[in-house]
Amino acid sequence: MWKDSYSIGVDLIDEQHKELFHRVWEFARVIRSSENWEDRLEQVKETMDFMKDYVITHFNDEEEYQEEINYPDIEIHKQAHAKFREGINQYVELFEKEGLTEEKIQEFGGKLMTWLIVHVGKMDQLIGEFVRSQGGQNNES
Amino acid sequence: MKVEFVNPFYKATKDIFKLMLNIDPQRKDLKILEDMIPGREVSVLLGITGHLQGGVMFSFPMPMSLDMIKIMSGMDINIIDNFASSALGEIGNIIGGNALTELSKHNLICNIIPPQVFVGEHRSLSLANQKALLLTLTTSIGEFDLSVFLKTGQ
Repeated sequence: MWKDSYSIGVDLIDEQHKELFHRVWEFARVIRSSENWEDRLEQVKETMDFMKDYVITHFNDEEEYQEEINYPDIEIHKQAHAKFREGINQYVELFEKEGLTEEKIQEFGGKLMTWLIVHVGKMDQLIGEFVRSQGGQNNES
Repeated sequence: MKVEFVNPFYKATKDIFKLMLNIDPQRKDLKILEDMIPGREVSVLLGITGHLQGGVMFSFPMPMSLDMIKIMSGMDINIIDNFASSALGEIGNIIGGNALTELSKHNLICNIIPPQVFVGEHRSLSLANQKALLLTLTTSIGEFDLSVFLKTGQ
């Protein structure tokens, strides 16, 4: 799922992105597997818990980094993170209310993958472009 | 239905395909349809409300839709399950969102009704029996259709 073209040239962020893509890929593999749903449920729950925490950690780290480098579009980026978190939280609430069904988990997984690719492939690339325009501190996180 | 309403959707489609799939769709034909009908096997329909009202539909051949999810996920995909259908719907949603941002620069403020994904051919959606514009786009993984039916609202 991860492609080198998603790299922004800042090690801390790139490593976290790779981990996110890896986890979403793993999540997609489990939720699309033909094995019995009940047998996969524990793994789905673990991944959901990890994703919730890791997305928050990653967004916080990324916003902290943007503050450090005086990134001019930090507020736009924070709004995009808030929207992303809101999208995840809507599903978390739905799962708390209605339980984890295979149908809804697959729906969530498809959206999560798409959001991640669009966010990292577009919004986060702008951070890399800014760093390069400032004389390039890339790869020196 | 003005032809210029198609352009923001065409441009957003090109941008998002490039970003998500590293594919650059090219215009092939532009036709007028009597109604919006999913001419290919997998279709994503977006409803539009606001200053413009109507719908926008992406219609893909099955192998192309599977290839799209394969490129995004790096996984072997042989069926449009809920995961694949949701990802395709979300691509449509993001394209629609970007197109609406472009239209808002011309003071046309609209909203998207969450996408519906249809699997199966020739199912008439009968959107008010109004003419729609159908733009066929070619890519390295197949041809697909972008149909737009929009009229100025109240």
